[in-house]
Amino acid sequence: MKNITKFLNIAYIIAIGSISLISCGGVPEENKASASTENVFSVAEVLEMVSKENDVTRTLYTKAIVGKGKTQGMKFDEDWRKDDVEAGPLPALFLRGVATSIKKSPVPLGLYLGSDFPVNAANKFVGKQAVLFEKIKEDQEPQFFYDEEQELHTAMFADVAGADACVTCHNNHKQSPKTDWKLGDVMGATTWQYPKDSLSYKETVAVLNSYAKGTVDIYMEYLDEIKAFEKSEKPVIGDKWPVEGNYLPTAEVFLDSVKKLSSYETMKHLVTMN
Amino acid sequence: MFKVGSLRKRQFIGGIAGVIIGFSVFYFLTLESAGEYVSIGPMNTGHQELSCVACHADARGNLMQQIQSNISYAVGSREEGVDFGTEDVTVDNCLQCHDRPNDRHPNYRFSEPRFKEAVKKIDARTCITCHSEHHEERVSVTSIDYCINCHQDLVVENDPLDISHKDLITKEEWFTCIQCHDFHGNHKYEVPTKLKDTIPMKVIQAYFAGGEDPFGTDKKYIGLSQSEWLEQLNNK
Ligand code: HEC
Ligand code: HEC
Ligand code: HEC
Ligand code: HEC
Ligand code: HEC
Ligand code: HEC
Repeated sequence: MKNITKFLNIAYIIAIGSISLISCGGVPEENKASASTENVFSVAEVLEMVSKENDVTRTLYTKAIVGKGKTQGMKFDEDWRKDDVEAGPLPALFLRGVATSIKKSPVPLGLYLGSDFPVNAANKFVGKQAVLFEKIKEDQEPQFFYDEEQELHTAMFADVAGADACVTCHNNHKQSPKTDWKLGDVMGATTWQYPKDSLSYKETVAVLNSYAKGTVDIYMEYLDEIKAFEKSEKPVIGDKWPVEGNYLPTAEVFLDSVKKLSSYETMKHLVTMN
Repeated sequence: MFKVGSLRKRQFIGGIAGVIIGFSVFYFLTLESAGEYVSIGPMNTGHQELSCVACHADARGNLMQQIQSNISYAVGSREEGVDFGTEDVTVDNCLQCHDRPNDRHPNYRFSEPRFKEAVKKIDARTCITCHSEHHEERVSVTSIDYCINCHQDLVVENDPLDISHKDLITKEEWFTCIQCHDFHGNHKYEVPTKLKDTIPMKVIQAYFAGGEDPFGTDKKYIGLSQSEWLEQLNNK
């Protein structure tokens, strides 16, 4: 008796099993040809585009927020996240915030900032990056290489002192190993990594969007930090900039300005290539 | 193994294989204690309340679809197989509950090429290197002198220690670091400045094994509970 029930059970399971196997069509295959239309950009082109966005964002943040904000009494500090420090992120930490946000997105893009004379010893280039940085300092041209170990296409771009604030802050920083930076100097380089050698239009837009979202994320973190200020005067957050007084733009206003400043170059690329 | 062109035969064998696999999976899943049965060991500190899906996310498609896809793959009518059952657990799984913006060793920073050599010794790019799951512990790498791989050139301005960092490093006292510093910087506590006030190594080892936290209980971030995690997923 027991055996028969067991047999019936098994037969039943086999029947159901085979029916379901036949009736459902399997996981849709990610067909390489149909899922993405042709790859239109090389990884070098895309990294160049996103690094231009980065230059604009970084300069805008440094000049309009940090530079002008300081004249209004706003503070920016390497320990800005600590509870007892009421300050905003330094430009380098703003960039690291963007990089962290990108890492959390589904876009497989890596972003780092380093130098040969870093304020923070942990940012010092070694190995391959140090060698290529020497070349970048000579002609400010980007350098590309393939990171065999991690199988990532890698690009390095000059990080130039584009605002007075860059120079004065680094020269006056007590941990800076170099104190004679000048406007226009190559102070360091950004390093970017991406796994594929070419990208579709959609993937390219995703890369650019993840950078923009990173900007908004870290900027919002800064605004959240301000909400928790107890001792310092809080700037008014709206559509005005620090140049006009104790104001800060909202994340939308900030991103809008970045887009206006950078869109021409990027759009030109996206439109003419397609 | 199969003769090229004998499509019929391949389909037949595929069908049989499907039935057998389908059957075994069904039978297995209906076992009452399947969860326990598959698990490879007791959960780590703090994870006792989590269910398997919190880290072992379902791979794409439902189980039957996966089975069929893999059979098609096996008999050659499909270019790629799919992950069976679950996907590999990665750092992304951990960060869904342990995202700590102030982590002083954020895993992603170590993907930069210049950490190449360090990462060969201690792969700080992923949590699982130091917190392998299913071992009823807190920290798995007990030999805690790996700070040497990245902090060899450390210079501390106005060093407050009675024996300076420089001297500690020259004397290769790499085991002392963790006796003063927590790794992630998530604890709010006074870092000692005298070697005699350091946390004894035995206490550190007990902490790694799942014991009391010698850096104190005042933390900046606590992991999301399962219900908080689900809520966060639903809000996405
Ligand atoms: C208000 C001070 C301040 C300003 C303004 C500033 N920096 Fe920095 N910068 C720092 C500090 C502090 C660090 C180290 C951050 C860290 O902990 O990683 C840093 C890091 C860097 C690094 C990485 C290497 C290093 O020195 O650690 C580069 C490159 C860099 N800054 C370039 C620039 C450029 C270019 C600008 C202008 C666009 C700029 N900085 C503006 C203070 C500043
Ligand atoms: C906190 C996250 C987490 C939870 C919850 C969890 N696991 Fe895991 N599991 C892991 C990690 C990480 C590994 C890989 C271990 C390693 O590589 O050291 C793993 C490995 C495994 C493996 C070995 C197979 C493989 O892929 O390496 C099995 C089987 C397994 N888990 C089953 C379970 C079951 C059953 C449950 C529920 C009772 C569960 N796990 C809950 C994180 C988790
Ligand atoms: C669903 C949410 C969730 C996921 C996913 C998760 N954790 Fe946890 N984890 C927790 C909770 C809740 C605790 C207990 C509270 C705490 O101590 O933060 C905890 C505790 C811990 C602890 C011990 C903390 C202590 O008390 O000292 C470690 C270490 C840890 N998790 C590492 C990991 C790693 C590594 C992964 C990825 C393999 C992971 N966690 C995935 C929720 C999660
Ligand atoms: C290189 C080794 C290493 C890596 C990689 C690592 N940890 Fe840890 N982790 C430790 C050590 C050592 C401790 C104990 C010291 C401490 O409390 O910071 C610890 C403690 C913890 C704790 C408990 C204390 C706290 O901070 O709340 C949690 C939670 C934790 N780790 C989560 C993670 C997660 C999540 C990741 C990946 C994003 C990760 N760890 C990666 C070494 C590591
Ligand atoms: C894989 C490389 C790596 C390993 C291994 C490593 N660190 Fe670090 N550590 C770093 C980097 C990079 C930073 C970030 C420095 C910065 O940006 O300020 C850092 C920062 C720190 C800081 C904070 C410095 C600050 O300015 O706040 C402490 C403390 C620290 N590490 C201690 C340790 C200890 C203790 C160990 C061993 C248990 C260890 N580290 C292992 C790379 C590493
Ligand atoms: C006796 C306790 C003690 C020991 C042992 C110790 N440190 Fe420290 N460390 C401190 C204190 C105190 C500070 C300064 C306060 C702070 O930043 O937390 C500090 C600062 C640091 C910093 C931050 C430097 C900066 O510029 O901000 C790093 C990184 C660091 N230690 C790494 C290490 C490493 C690596 C070791 C092992 C060789 C080690 N420490 C051993 C107590 C200790």
